[in-house]
Order: sequence, then structure tokens, then C-alpha cells
Amino acid sequence: MVRVTFKLTEVGRVELDLPTPLLFREVLQHCVTRTGYTPGGYIAVRKGKVVSAGDMIEDGDEIDIFPALSGG
Amino acid sequence: MFSLLRINTATGETRTEKHTSKDFLLGGRTLSSRLVSREVEATCDALGKKNKLFFCTGALAGTATSSANRLSIGGKSPLTGGIKESNAGGIVGSRMAEQGLRCIVLEDAPAGESGWRVVVIGKDGVKLLDGAFLAGKGVYEKSDLLTAQFGKDAGCITVGPAAEKLLLASGIACSDPHGVCSRYAGRGGLGAVMASKRVIAMVILADGKQKSDFVNKEQFKEESRRVVKMLKDNPVSALFTKYGTAAMVDICQSLRVLPTKNFRHGTMEGAEKINAQTMYDTIKARGGEGKTQHACMLPCAIQCSNVYPDQEGKLLCSPIEYETMALMGSNLCLKNLDTIATMNRIANDAGVDTLDCGAAIAVAMEAGLAEFGDDQAAIGMMEEIRNLSPLGRILGSGCKVAAKVLGVRHAPHVLGQAIPAYEPRGTKGMAMTYLSSPMGADHTFGFTLRDEENPLTKEGKIGLSKKFQVIGSRMDAMGMCNFVRYAVRHDMSPLLNLIKAYYDVDITATEFDDFVKETLRIEHQFNTDAGITALDYRFSETFYDEAQPETGEKMDVTDEESAQARQW
Repeated sequence: MVRVTFKLTEVGRVELDLPTPLLFREVLQHCVTRTGYTPGGYIAVRKGKVVSAGDMIEDGDEIDIFPALSGG
Repeated sequence: MFSLLRINTATGETRTEKHTSKDFLLGGRTLSSRLVSREVEATCDALGKKNKLFFCTGALAGTATSSANRLSIGGKSPLTGGIKESNAGGIVGSRMAEQGLRCIVLEDAPAGESGWRVVVIGKDGVKLLDGAFLAGKGVYEKSDLLTAQFGKDAGCITVGPAAEKLLLASGIACSDPHGVCSRYAGRGGLGAVMASKRVIAMVILADGKQKSDFVNKEQFKEESRRVVKMLKDNPVSALFTKYGTAAMVDICQSLRVLPTKNFRHGTMEGAEKINAQTMYDTIKARGGEGKTQHACMLPCAIQCSNVYPDQEGKLLCSPIEYETMALMGSNLCLKNLDTIATMNRIANDAGVDTLDCGAAIAVAMEAGLAEFGDDQAAIGMMEEIRNLSPLGRILGSGCKVAAKVLGVRHAPHVLGQAIPAYEPRGTKGMAMTYLSSPMGADHTFGFTLRDEENPLTKEGKIGLSKKFQVIGSRMDAMGMCNFVRYAVRHDMSPLLNLIKAYYDVDITATEFDDFVKETLRIEHQFNTDAGITALDYRFSETFYDEAQPETGEKMDVTDEESAQARQW
């Protein structure tokens, strides 16, 4: 089970069963298909590190997706 | 034709000049930094008569364009010793535009113990009135007194008691749309510069009759509507509307760059108690005067500001920004939004920068003057600043001075200006930006964090920082709100089309970016001329020697690398 949480959105957590590891961009596409929600600019974080589109996502991973805001 | 109003604060003489150059057309930081560079002797005493203080509107000020009324204030900074541009929202830009003014400059300084003055600018000219009735009062009371005398629609600019005593972290407060002087050009100590000229307030009356003279009004309207649609459609801008900048608490906690315990750590247990969701829920639950969205200037389609109410629903502070939530919250190990809001209110009343004073209080806590996490002690230190006690004056001079006086080596600043709310060892892109800003540590100067694939490495960060130095500086360059940049990041043509429709002046995207880069060159040259060297663009040595516990990272950006990031 991979858990993807869209922070500060109505979407909340999405859980996906991944039989094999997938690229993060593919995982994100699954989330979009499941929820109909397309994040704009975002920062994805797994265990305190940024996840890039080309990173592999494996069973058990938990990823938080934040809107890419900034301070002012 | 753009008007520049010169006011000699020593003699009371005033003079209006007319200009036609593109510097004046663009206004904002493009203009303020050029005027500082041309007219201020770089080696002068920032609090002496040779310094000048420039107030500039932007290219689209006074029009119906969203988020276009930032006021850019420039001069030599007493905090950094270099050039400074600090900008604020509010209504002053609109009032200046209605008076037909692109720039107001305060020059010279009265000798000795001259009395305070209020500069009043209206359709009938400029008056210098006795300002004694404002002396020693907090900014909120000053604001009320100014409103009572000049009306709530007047655009007022004032300073707090901290500036009256020339404290280095003092800012300049500008009227918001409700007539309250709560919108700050907070950074760099420009409040002290204004006070050094014995000007305690400046008022732009709401009797200006100047209308925007569009070359192509219909096209301007169309392009203006397009900008609003872009802002509303942009998912990032739209989220600013709901949560404001406070959303950064969770992001920085997750990336382990949330300043905690005087920048010793990058995470705080219990950070969710001060995050955007908690703030949003608190404001909604308390109701009353609280607002989760609020415009700092009119018009604005983003409305990222907020009004934080007390437990009875009365206004406690507006706005609370992420930077303050971190520097007056997590960095002091405080987990109570009411405490942060109270400190922010006191800072606004004293007229000091929340970042520099928050950082200074953390330094004082590290020095053992209070325990981290002690809410009442933190509020007490803000009261010391407002009351101008000896300790308060030290804290109100920023974290560099506080660290020197209190014997703390881990002083979080660059060029004397406190590091904003991104722990630099955990984000080397932001570190590069801090080290390359001519203004001292400044996050808005080149916000890399959202685009760093690996924030922990310095590889590629010179280029990344420089890319965002340009993107970040574009909005300042023409007096737009920085958050418009999300909508025009890849295509500036909507804003350049507005300039074309307004003035019938073609500025290509390349030419515009050349202006931005030239501004950076000018600003760095000023600093060099002022005696600032490459060795000054460093963090305190502890950032290089001691690893941040959560990431294991030390600062590893070299002098040569940061120098490259300052080359334009």
C-alpha cells in the first residue's frame, strides 16, 4: 500500500496498491485518475526528502504533497 | 511624464521634477534602487543627512490592475550598511498615483534636536506640520490620530517609537484599506532613516484628481481582466487565498527547514499547533472580526492576508505571515498562535520588523535570558522593545547586535539582516539566495525551495538561485505584489501588454529582464562602494561548523560560489 496525502486540499489521503514499484509521475497519474484532482505546482516529500517525478515509489511509501507556496 | 517630489527635511523646501525615462515608467525597485545609487553617497552614515529616502509607486499604480499598488521604499540601510529596497502593500501607492506622483524623496536632515514633522501632501501642495502630537506613541495610536486629523482614506506612512530612537530593526508602516497603518516595509531599518530626518509621518491626502491616462483604455481593461483570470485560475495563487503564506509551516516542517530554537533545528514537535490549518480553523471558529482572506491593497484578486481575532472575536493582529509564525513561533519553540499574534501586534505597535526581532529574542533565549518555549517571557521581551528599555533597544536592533551584546555566536543573519524562515543548512538554494542578496538575508529575493529537487545539496544552486533572483525581482521591479509571479512566471507578456496599453511603450520580456539584471548590478555596486566585501556575505561560522541535527547538513557554500551568484 502506498499512501499519498494531498495536504491543504479537500482530497486528503489516497491509498494505492502497487504490485510493482512505479515512478512517482505514474503514481501521481493514478491519483489524478482516482480523484480527478490535478495539483498545480507542488512539493512532494517522503521521509523528509523531496520526491521527484522520476523517483521510484515502492509499497509502504508515504508521500505528502504540498501546494508549492512561498512565504511573503 | 512622471513626477518626482523632493522634500528637503532641513529647510522645508520642496521641488517637483518631471521625468520620462523607462526607470520612472517602471517605478518600484527599478526606480528606487537607481535613485539611491545615483543620489546617495555609498559611504555615508545611513542615519545622517546625506542619506535619502525614496518612496516609489509602480508602473501600474492607481489603475484597476490587481495587486499593482505596492510601495517601494529605498535608501541606504542602517541595518546592513548597504542598499535597501523594502516594499509594502496598502493604499499609499494609490494615493500617490491620484496626486500624480511616481516618487517622493525625503532629503537632508535637520540639525540638532529639531522637532518632529508631519509631511502632508495634497492637491494644494506640501505642508510640514508640527508632529509633536505623535511623538512617543505606538503605531496603532499614531494611526488613529492621523485618521482623525486627515480622514481614513488618506494614505499615511508612519514609524513607531523604536524608529524614533533610531533602532536598527525599525520599519515603516503604511495605511491598509481600512485606514490602519499595519502594512509594513519592515526590513532594513528604513524606519530609523525616516525618523533621522525628523519626519514622524507622511500623509498623502485623498484629494488627488489625477486619473490614469490610458493610451488604449479598452485594451488595458481587457488585459487587466486577463490578469485577474490568470490569478484566479492559477492553483497556487488560489491556495494563497485560502491559507495565505501560513501553508509554509507544514512544508518547512516536512522538509526539515522550519527554523527552531534559534536556527539550531529544522523541525519542531507540535508544529501543527501553529500551522495554516490550525490558523484557518481558529479564525473560522472565533468569527467576529476574524477573516481568513483579506486584501492588503485594492484591488487584489489573491487576498492572501488575514485578520486574526482574539478569543472574543476582536481583531488581535492583521496580518500574520508565515515568516512571523516561524521567527516568533517555532524559532522560539512557541506553539500558541495567540502568543504569536500578540507578539506580532506589539511589533507592529513598536514599529519593528518581526523577523529581526524574533531572531533577536531567540538569541536572547540562547543566551539564557529566558527559556525557549516560554510564552510570557517572549511577550515580555516584545514589551521591552515597545517600552524602549535597555534590553528592548538591544533586541530592537536586530539579531546581529543582540548576539554581539549577549555573547551568542550562533547569530542567524547575513549582512546583519536576520535569516528568514528557511533553515539554510537544509536548503542550499535558499542559502545561496541569502548569500547573494544585496539586501541581506531575504527569501523573496530568489525563492528556490519549491524547485529544489534535492534541497540538501549545493550542486546546481548557483544557477537555480540566479534564475529565481530574476523571477523574484521582476515583480518588485514594477511595483507588483510578489505573488503575481506565479501566474506570469513563464510569460511576462500579460503585464508588459498592460504597460503597452497604458503608455504605448513597448518593453519586451528580454528588455524587462535586462532592467532587472541591471538593477541587481547597480545594487551590488552600491554595496561594494559602501565597503561591503565578499567576506561579509557569510553566515555565522557556527552554521559551517555545526551540522543541523535533522539533516546532518553543515553550510558548505563557499565565498567563491556565493560571489558567482552575485555576478550579473
